[in-house]
Amino acid sequence: MKHLLIFFHFYKTYIAWSFIITILLGFVDSHYIPAVLTKLFLTVFAWYITNETSNKHRLTFYKNLGISTYTLFFSMFVVDSVLTILIIFLFKI
Amino acid sequence: MVLEVDNIELNFKNKRILSGIYLRAETGKVTSILGSNGCGKSSLLNIIFGNLKPKYKLVRVDGKAVLKPLYKTGIIKYLPQYHFIPNGISIKTAFKLFGVDWKAFVKTFGAFERYASYKVNKLSGGERRVIETYIILKSKSNITILDEPFSHIAPLYIETIKTLIEEEKKQKIILISDHLYKHIIESSDSIYLLKNASTKAIKDLKELKDYLSEGQLY
Repeated sequence: MKHLLIFFHFYKTYIAWSFIITILLGFVDSHYIPAVLTKLFLTVFAWYITNETSNKHRLTFYKNLGISTYTLFFSMFVVDSVLTILIIFLFKI
Repeated sequence: MVLEVDNIELNFKNKRILSGIYLRAETGKVTSILGSNGCGKSSLLNIIFGNLKPKYKLVRVDGKAVLKPLYKTGIIKYLPQYHFIPNGISIKTAFKLFGVDWKAFVKTFGAFERYASYKVNKLSGGERRVIETYIILKSKSNITILDEPFSHIAPLYIETIKTLIEEEKKQKIILISDHLYKHIIESSDSIYLLKNASTKAIKDLKELKDYLSEGQLY
């Protein structure tokens, strides 16, 4: 439960951008695999930006809670991909 | 518990930052690292925590080498120089996530009671530093690293923080670094000086006078 709460705090900073991109993918009638690949690219991009800017500092917060940067971004990718597939599925109905 | 750090080598481009490092810290003692600005104190603390990967390092806990970053073991907490709690998090949530008692905190720092529902970025830099220092000190851990815990903190609170360090050291290894040497020396049980990229254990405070100016010490 605690880990979910921690993950939610991390994910909420990215959720608005992710949602906008998912909606755009829905409008262009994207297939599932290209949509997930887009999210993979964006996750790697977010990881890079975080590491190269002062945003890197906030990763110490999660490390203090025993969660590595890899775990955070990988979890974000998995959750984000599931949400993306669900939203695109709703667009296709 | 005994923490030993050995054989660290860190270079930035062609500049040698750390080499020939040995440091030993144990439960019940405050171990401090002194040194001039930019000598590599924070880099050393970051390496111990696992935030920074040097060329070589050997970290041992109770004589056993720990190969993964120490933070992944869950036995260590680290107060960096910068504000580490993300802006959007409320103070009470931060306390909850770290398992620290908010009521005990406001008993010690009464003026903070009204801030419970505030987001951390609504506080002043000094107030935020007090909260972050308290959370790291009081979180469950075996090793606590404090990088400049007295910086930007009101003099009134510095004494309280020193008392908290004294209490917490009974069950933890405390590693501390700050440029306010007076407070550090008063709180320390063992001192290392970081100079010319390597550490030197200081047995007698008089030795420090050879390396640091009077102004730095008092």
